[in-house]
Amino acid sequence: MEEGKVYVGNLDVAAKRARDILLGKLKLEKVVDWANAFSLWPVHLTTSCCSTEFAATFGPRFDGEQFGALPWVGPRQTNLIVIEGTVTRKMACAVRVTWEQMPHPKYAIAMGACALDGGLFYNSYNVVRPWEVIPIDIYIPGCPPRPESVARAIVELQRKIRGRRVASSWIREGWRPDRDYVAPKEDYCAWQKTSPLLERV
Amino acid sequence: MSGAELVEGPRDYEATLKAARARAESALREAGISFSVEEGKGFVDLVVDVDSIVKAAEALKNAGFTHVVSVTAVDYPKKKSIKVAYHVTSYLDPEIVGGIVGLAVYLPREAPEMPSLSGVWVSAEFMEREVYEFFGVTFKGHPDLRPLLLIPELAEKRPLRKDFVVREESIYEGVPERVRRG
Repeated sequence: MEEGKVYVGNLDVAAKRARDILLGKLKLEKVVDWANAFSLWPVHLTTSCCSTEFAATFGPRFDGEQFGALPWVGPRQTNLIVIEGTVTRKMACAVRVTWEQMPHPKYAIAMGACALDGGLFYNSYNVVRPWEVIPIDIYIPGCPPRPESVARAIVELQRKIRGRRVASSWIREGWRPDRDYVAPKEDYCAWQKTSPLLERV
Repeated sequence: MSGAELVEGPRDYEATLKAARARAESALREAGISFSVEEGKGFVDLVVDVDSIVKAAEALKNAGFTHVVSVTAVDYPKKKSIKVAYHVTSYLDPEIVGGIVGLAVYLPREAPEMPSLSGVWVSAEFMEREVYEFFGVTFKGHPDLRPLLLIPELAEKRPLRKDFVVREESIYEGVPERVRRG
């Protein structure tokens, strides 16, 4: 019986070499950015009332799908969060968990006055600024914004991805070069741990 | 459930409220519960003692008030008391449909505690949880008394009491002092 050969290699090194060849020598960067810009999948994460306008954006009248974005089901298959309005303390935990679950390259759009700086509820005890929770790419003003502005934000995000080579450099570097990775200052899910008030009286 | 048919369309609210109030007062009198009446435009509150509130609730339920619209509380820091009000009405009794009567009780502000009425009206359960987290009123005998909407750190501060301070809205906010003085 003939002795077989065993190939030993480091998978990480091989993947890095393949990545360098594809993105560096073959100049696939533009293709990656182009493909990424037109496959934006917003996750269904409804934090507040702006979601009605968001739903109208992808309805038949305003038809957001023509710009290359369509809401999709779970965070594992999506790459865009549209924060629709006010983020409460409990919802901030859900936003962060969803963001951590999404594969990179991923983007975030903050929609509405409440997502900019609290809006109507700016002095409320229960409201969190979304830019403290996840890194935001595009802000849309308005209360609520019209569907046209949501479509405009998607087009702007595509321009940003293709113009700054966000997606390809993110894949090549492993992190996003033009933005620091935002780690939240506090643990928004801490309330789920044991508290005397959560126990039944 | 006797007498008139259920009428569709808009109803005369004053007349309905009058009928509902008469029904509630006679029910409390029959049960031998002393009460005082607080009324204003469009609302009636029947204020009873803490000791007799469960008996009063059962009397109201037997008289046809089967549905709790809301449970709410008002903080009176100067009187050092908290008023808890159960707004009750009926869906089915044609005489009092839409007439909302309040069953209220005054509690001391330092340690507000009262028996839970979720044993009488099941729909009061979640609303009592909200009163618990926003005002700190403890309901004895409640099946599951935990904060409903707020995180526990916020619920400990009792945010709807009058002494909870929020940042005020002002046109001078963030303006330097010398500009403010003019």
